[in-house]
Amino acid sequence: MTYPEMAKILFAFYAVLIASGGIMAVAAKSLVRALLGLILTLFGVSGLYMLMNAPFLALMQMLIYVGAVVVLIFFAIMLTKGADRGRESGTISCGQGLLAILAAAAPAALLSWVCLHGKNVAREPVELSIRVLGKALLNEYVLAFELISVVLFVAMAGAVLLGFERRRAR
Amino acid sequence: MSSQMSPLTMYQLVGVMLLCLGLLGFILRRSLIGMLISVELMLNGAGLSIVAAGQLTPTRADLSQLSTLLVMGLAAAEATLVLAIVLVVAKRFGSIETENISELKG
Repeated sequence: MTYPEMAKILFAFYAVLIASGGIMAVAAKSLVRALLGLILTLFGVSGLYMLMNAPFLALMQMLIYVGAVVVLIFFAIMLTKGADRGRESGTISCGQGLLAILAAAAPAALLSWVCLHGKNVAREPVELSIRVLGKALLNEYVLAFELISVVLFVAMAGAVLLGFERRRAR
Repeated sequence: MSSQMSPLTMYQLVGVMLLCLGLLGFILRRSLIGMLISVELMLNGAGLSIVAAGQLTPTRADLSQLSTLLVMGLAAAEATLVLAIVLVVAKRFGSIETENISELKG
């Protein structure tokens, strides 16, 4: 089996993984199942990064998303679990669902039209070493690097502040 | 999957699919955590699209990879804040369903 064929098969596999995970994340009744769908999608996207010759990003995807964000969301589900055990109440009527699909499909249709009719400038993916990335991060993009640290710090401080809030009379 | 479609287009279409699913979930979900999960789906689509645009075109690859790292950091910060907000809302209203916590009339 040649390399391009293998890449196509892998791409199809990851795309199916992403699609099924995404559908599960959107349609599952229980929030924990939706979270499992999200994890499936995250691993699929990580595989696509690997396929695009960006292994560092694939690892970061697993570390940051699966390691941190998913755990945070799971904690949120656990700590706010009501009597219904993480299930969402209520059903969606047919008209509502149809309108929602229409609203989600309109921008997607526009964007896919743009993708399909754009100029074809594709090339083979290049692999960047972590050394190059680190140098770029500390030379050219040092402002963005520092800013994201500040954003993370402010978000954490805000979260702690919100967590200490006393129960107030409404 | 037709063979004349370039890899770039296919990666971008996967990103668009993630955006579409995320938007759909954002509209359909009835609890704040479900909406957070949908936002994460959309952010993933954005990251995938950025990396595909950098790796598969003559654009600078380091720019795209670092932008995606930035998006991941933003997603982590956003998830932290939303977790705190969800906890406060749950404490104050006793529920995280959007139907129960909207106080405006109409």
